[in-house]
This record gives sequence, structure tokens and C-alpha cells, in this order.
Amino acid sequence: MIEPIKMTTRPGRQAEIERAGFNTFLLDSDKVYIDLLTDSGTSAMSDNQWAGMMLGDEAYAGSKNWHHLWDAVAEIYGFKYMCPTHQGRGAEHLISQILIRPGDYVPGNMYFTTTREHQERAGGTFVDIVIDIAHDAQAEHPFKGNVDLGKLEALIKKVGPDKIPYVSVAVTVNMAGGQPVSMANLRAVRELCDRYLRSDGQPIRILFDATRCVENAYFIQRREDGYKDKSLRVILREMMSYGDGCTMSGKKDNLVNIGGFAATNEKDVYDKLTQLVVVFEGMPTYGGLAGRDMEAMARGIYEMVDDDYMAFRIGQVQYLGQQLIDAGVPIVRPVGGHAVFLDARAFLDHVPQSEYPAQALAAALYLDSGVRGMERGNVSAGRGKDGKEHFPKLEMVRLTIPRRVYTDSHMDVVADSVIDLYERRKSISGFKMIYEPPQLRFFTARFEPVRREGFWGPGGRHS
Amino acid sequence: MAEVKTGSRTGPDQEDPAWSSGAEPFKIKVVEPIHRTSRAERERLIEKAGYNLFSLRSESVYIDLLTDSGTAAMSDSQWARLMLGDEAYAGSRSFYRLKDAVANVMGFPLVIPTHQGRAAENVLFTTMVNPGDVVPNNMHFDTTQAHVEHRGAEARNLVRPEAYDPVADVPFKGDIDLDSLEATLAGKKTRAGPKTGASPKTGVGSTGESIPLVLITVTCNSGGGQPVSMANLREAAGICRRHKVPLFLDAARFAENAYFIKIREPGFAGKPIREIVREMFSYVDGCTMSGKKDGLVNMGGFIALRSRALYERATVWAVLFEGFPTYGGLAGRDMEAMAQGLEEVVDEDYLAYRVGHVAYLGRRLKEAGVPIIEPVGGHAVYLDALRFLPGLPRERFPAQALAVELYVEGGVRGVEIGAVLAGRDPRTRENRFPELEMVRLAIPRRVYTRQHLDVVAETCRGVLARRETIGGLAFKKEPPVLRHFTATFKRI
Repeated sequence: MIEPIKMTTRPGRQAEIERAGFNTFLLDSDKVYIDLLTDSGTSAMSDNQWAGMMLGDEAYAGSKNWHHLWDAVAEIYGFKYMCPTHQGRGAEHLISQILIRPGDYVPGNMYFTTTREHQERAGGTFVDIVIDIAHDAQAEHPFKGNVDLGKLEALIKKVGPDKIPYVSVAVTVNMAGGQPVSMANLRAVRELCDRYLRSDGQPIRILFDATRCVENAYFIQRREDGYKDKSLRVILREMMSYGDGCTMSGKKDNLVNIGGFAATNEKDVYDKLTQLVVVFEGMPTYGGLAGRDMEAMARGIYEMVDDDYMAFRIGQVQYLGQQLIDAGVPIVRPVGGHAVFLDARAFLDHVPQSEYPAQALAAALYLDSGVRGMERGNVSAGRGKDGKEHFPKLEMVRLTIPRRVYTDSHMDVVADSVIDLYERRKSISGFKMIYEPPQLRFFTARFEPVRREGFWGPGGRHS
Repeated sequence: MAEVKTGSRTGPDQEDPAWSSGAEPFKIKVVEPIHRTSRAERERLIEKAGYNLFSLRSESVYIDLLTDSGTAAMSDSQWARLMLGDEAYAGSRSFYRLKDAVANVMGFPLVIPTHQGRAAENVLFTTMVNPGDVVPNNMHFDTTQAHVEHRGAEARNLVRPEAYDPVADVPFKGDIDLDSLEATLAGKKTRAGPKTGASPKTGVGSTGESIPLVLITVTCNSGGGQPVSMANLREAAGICRRHKVPLFLDAARFAENAYFIKIREPGFAGKPIREIVREMFSYVDGCTMSGKKDGLVNMGGFIALRSRALYERATVWAVLFEGFPTYGGLAGRDMEAMAQGLEEVVDEDYLAYRVGHVAYLGRRLKEAGVPIIEPVGGHAVYLDALRFLPGLPRERFPAQALAVELYVEGGVRGVEIGAVLAGRDPRTRENRFPELEMVRLAIPRRVYTRQHLDVVAETCRGVLARRETIGGLAFKKEPPVLRHFTATFKRI
């Protein structure tokens, strides 16, 4: 099944991006030709998943789809207990509320916006324990998402195991550019946590943000010694065996448009999940999801560990990345699992970070070809408590590839447009912000080019 | 539809929705097979489930009346629109279609989608309600109360007193008690002057209670699906306006409520449902909505608002708890289906069928001598377990026992709303025995035929005939919280 998309015209795009205040979030989707805003919830489901949609059992209690989902999580992830939620942040909310006490510390391999927000709301303090190299856009490292064991151990020694409700390990690390964590690193984190017991005699808990765990497993299969002959199923089970549970956004690796879950091996954590989920999500046997969506997610869980599928998936992202690398376009290296990140500071080295180079580049890309990416830089980082902007090290435009949606021909259009823009990059002007909302400003802020005439530049090849 | 009387009488003997509608205004296009189990099988299954209906697998149930929430059969148009879902994270076409439908049906310019109704409550109350506040409502539904209390506020029920009487035949048993509302709002904190430096939101510096909003639930679910009259909404709005407190509807069953206004309230018989719905919403500042009831969908909800300032504050929490404001934790296709459902639910023929369908079961039960709560509400029939099993002491959980027997007798699953649900007093650890001990038979929308309801009525009659043999239940395993979901019992 296909969904028609419209080839837009340059005058049309010019009017639309002006109307949207040069913020790609404010574009209506039918004005976008190739939508690379996010890989979350944008997958094309399979015929088997759609067939499952017709088998939705919408009973409030005891739905058979819930049993199917439970079995899929047990079989593929290996966790004993599972509680569905409407999407990933629903699971993060519940886990944060259940496990984090005020004054606790939550170490993690780089923050993610909503995750950190839920941890802080529960009274915890996020501590970054990712290896330093993750913050360097151009540095090559096969497992750039690894946990820095020294940083983790230093924190444990400083605050004690009882102040650490869990170590949060993201596989892959989104904010570092979809970078994976190695199996050796996961094993070492487990061993480290096993050495430090809480006062109840249990080792420090490890929870995965498992959102893109199979993409991570694929990098292990390709890059780590001893795994090239192992199937993704086997690798994923080993990865998960080093943790005590996970939160999952089904909208990524589970190949669905809506859905998520929290999983755990601990009976008392599960009991608390079933009590809290009723308040925020729904009954524990549907958790805010229609029966049909649980069925689609259960089927997606079996599909995601197919080795051929994942080779195609990561291959497509690498295909786009390699074209840009070959043309000399500065991107975050190595290319991660779900997106290609343009390094906007290097791309627009004539635009100071105070003029939002990533925002300008995202707008210019839309104007050139109707491709929508997302700013992940100074605008997204927002302001500190002192009112000053954060000026993060990474100033990026994320080109996120939805799963099974676009062909390599679509990727060619994207690559051509980016390369074309790079060749005439000096014509792209920086931005000034003309409307700034108080919170989460990247969603709704409005901008204007500092040099208007320069910004429009000569027409791109798709005009 | 025949002309209906608009007086205050509503009993099934007079203008009777049970008989006023013809056949269903739809035909069946896709079916889901269900299996009739034998009585011996059911005896075995319910014993295995610890005599708790929540623990039954759905395929063990013949007719499932556990809830009307999320169990509706969608129309072919809704299924077609599922295929048109635009899953874009930002600016999805499907969001704009939902926004247009909400504006068109309810008259609100702003909408924040949420994954279901309780999520809308969570977002709205996190935005508006602070610790120590009081939130008046005609009657809080259990999740609404949980959210108000989660914010550290008091959920106060101000429904008219007849709502607690199982046989009081009052046309609008869900009305909020206007004198109580006036008294509550008159005693609220006044806004502190600028000199005190206090925030106007908390009103620190004066006495009385802080009341961030007033809610009215239509129809009143906890009172048995009882409607609220237009006159009551209008006057409540006037009181709220005088005291400068925003008024919101918990609108989950707004269309069923509008239909009761049409057939019961003087002056509304000739008015189209769409006009009645628009008038209902014209009195309020916004609403929370569970699309799983009158949105005719399996998943979905939203907040609808007039105030842009409030909208912007609420979207911050929506992003944290639900999702980006143009999808709010729903797939694009679910927004499409809900937009279509909102247009379908205000169809007069549909509502005549819907309310008539529920009333039909009520009438069949009354004919069979089964004691029910009267008048019959919009979405469920409630069996009065204390009159059904008069000899059984409350300690043996008559409603739970009755629900179990309905399953054994006919494979029908209802839900206990009585002492098991009420739990124990947190201080004394004694069982709480609420005034009403009921089994709710909630009717899913457009799912079952009258033949199914006949089976339900026959099942109730069968149990009634052998009620002397029912000895009640005792706990075998009792969990400390929310015991009704997972407790196990033994028969006495």
C-alpha cells in the first residue's frame, strides 16, 4: 500500500516556510515532499501487522492481544514482566515515578529531552556518564555510545549505591547521533553494578532505554569480535540479559505508529507498575493502547529481529551518509542507526552559533527540495537558569529515516539537495529569533533570516 | 421518531426509548466470532480465575459487558479513515481534521489530543490544579478523582441528593446541586490584591478554599449514567461566571446526555441534537473527553479549550506526558477515526438506537422482576445486588457473587461496583460498604444485537430463580491496593 506525496514547487515552499516562521516543526505535513523530521511512529507497517490490526480484541480485561504482546516481550527481550503504555514517554514517566526518590542520581549515557525531564520531575539528578568522544562530532569510534566506566564508578563511590535507583543505558544513543554501545561495555557495566550492593543486598539496577535496541544489536553483529555469526535475536537477548528491565518506545524498533511498554524482571516493580499505569495510561492489560495496536506491536517485535530487514534498514541510513561523506559534506561520524546528522557549525562556518546555523540549514534544505529535517542545536538546547543560551557543542540538523517508508531514490533526492546546498553554502544567512516561547522553544519559535535577499539565493536544482 | 412527551416522568411506561426506535440504523459489515461455552466449562474457568471476572481471558466470555469504554464497533467510514492516517510528527493532516471536527461539533477553537480521557485529565489538572485546591464536580469518576487527588487537591461531589437513591425516578439525576455549588464558590478564596504580592492563582492572603475549576460530568457515570439538564448547566455556568471560576465538562458521554435533554427537558423536543450539543458546550470554558465513549473509537481523547493562554500552558505538559501537540500520544489514524466518530455520534437515529438499546435491556429486566437502578441511564444497566440477594450479608460480597453467577449462568461478564471495589478504610483496615452494591452491565456501542440483550436478560432471570442457592464469596487472596483487579475468592 502506498501514500501519495506531493512534489512541491519552489514558490510554494517559499510561501510555506515564511508562513511557518522558518521553523520546520510548524510546516503542515502535506507541504512536505520527503519528511525526515523523525523516525518515531512513522514506520510503514507490514501486511502481517495490518492483518493483526483487524484482530484487535478491545476487551478491557484479558484481551488476547495483551497475551500476544506479553509473549513477544518474553521471547525476544527475555523480560519476565511487561506493562504496555501509549508510547515510550509514558513508560519513562511510570518508571521515574516508581523508582526515583528526591535526592537520587540517575547516571545515563547522554541525556534525552523527555527522559531527563521525567527523572528531574521525580526529584532525581541526571549525571552524564557517556564516553567523552561522544560529544565530538567528527571523531570516529565504533561504539561511540559506550558508558565511561570510570565516570560511573566515581559517581557510585561519591553518592553510594542507595542513591542510584538505576543506571540508564540507552541503546543506541539518540542525542549522540544514534551511536551504539558494545556488548563488552554492557557486560562491564553489569559487572561494575554487581560489585556495588545496595543496603537491601541487591546490586545496582540497570534499565535500558531500549528504543532502538535492535539497531544497536546490528552494530554489534557488524563491528564487535565474536558476533558476526550470531543472529540479531541471540545478540539482543544477550544485551538485555545484562539489565533488569527497560522502557521501550514501540514507535521506533517495534515498527508501529503508536505504542510502548515498560518491562522488568522484578515482581515488586511490576506490581507498582500495574498500580500506577491505571492512573496515567489505562488498565495493566491495555495500558492506553487499543487491542489492535498491541497486536501490531507484538508482530513488529518478531519482525524487527529479522537479520535481512535490519541490514536493509541500517544500510539505507549508511547509503545516505556515504553519499554525503563522499561529497565532503560535514556530518556526524560514524553514521548512526536511525539518522544522518549534518554538522551545521562546520557546514555554515560563516554563521555564528548565536544566529542558529542548524535552524537556518534546516529551513534552507526545505526551501531547496521540500525535505524536512529537524534542528538539534542551540534552539533545541534552550536557555539555562541564568537566561543565557546553552550553545551546545553539537549543532546539528537531523535527517531521520523512517523505517520501510522511503526508497533509495528518495535518499538520492535528499543527498543531491544537501550537496547542492553545500556547494552554495555561503549564500545561506543566519537567523534571528522573532518569537520565543518560554518552554520547549524549538517546537514553536519563529525566525527571520538576518540577510533576507541572500537567504533565498539562486534556485536549487529541484525548483 | 414519534413525538415524545417532555414532562418530568421518564419511566419505561410512558415515552419509552426502549420501544420508540425501530431496528438499528446500521447493518453489520465485519464480524468478530464469539464462542458460547458450556456451563461446566465456565464453572471450571471461573474457579481457575479465582472467581474474579477481571482475570478471565476475553475469549472465555460470551457477552462482554465489562465496559462501554473503547469497545465500540467503528463504522466503515471510520475504518476507511484509519487507512488515511497521516503519521507525521508535526503538522499531521489528521490533526487538523480532528480540530475541525471538534470545532464543528462542540464549538471549541483549540484542541490537544491525548491517548485517552484520563490522560486529558492528567494534562489539564497538572496545568490548573495545585495542592490544597478543591475541585467541585457533580460526581467524580474514579480516575478523575484519582487525578485530582494526585495533585494534592480535594475532589468534592455536589450532585443532587436523589442520585444516591436507587429508585428515585428523577429525569436529570446527574444535576449538580446548585445551592451547594453556590455555597462552595461563595466560600472560596478571593483574589489577593497586588499589595500582598500573592499570586492570584493561589490567592494566598485571604481565607477560604482555592477552587481552580468546576467540573460537571455528562452523563454522570458514577451515578449510573444519569443525565444533566440544560437548565442545570446554564445555571451552574452563571454561578461560576459570577465567582470567576472556569467551568469544564467531563464530556465522555456528551451526546447521550444531549439525547436525554431532547426527550426529557421541556423546550428541546424539536431541536436538532447538534444544536443541543452546541448549547451544552456554549456554557463552559472547555472539556476533557474520552473518545472511547461518545467518540466511538477504541482509543483516543482530547482537551478542548477556548483560552489560548491556557492552551499554551497545557501543551507544555501534553508534550511531557503524551506527545507533540499535533498528535498527543495517538497515531494519526486514530485522530482520523475520532474526527469521524464525533460526526457520527450526533446523528439522531444513532442516539435513539443507542439510548433505546440500553433502555430495552432495562425493560426486559424489569419485566423479569430483576431489581435494577432506576431510571436506566445512557450506557449501562445496574443490577441492585442488595435487593437481588436480600439474604446475603454484605461481608459475603453480594455484587461480586452475583457477577460470578451471571458468568456461570450465561457467559455474561459484568463488573462489580460495590464493597470489593470500595476496598478497605486506610485507617481501620475494615471493609468499606458503600450505599449501593451493584453489578454494572455496560453496553458497548453498536456491538451487540437485541438477541444478545435477550440472552443477558434470560441469564439474569435464571440466576434470580436460583438465588436462594447463592452463598456468597470470601477472599482467598486479597492484594493491598486495587484489590478488585487481582483478588481471588472462594465460594461459600
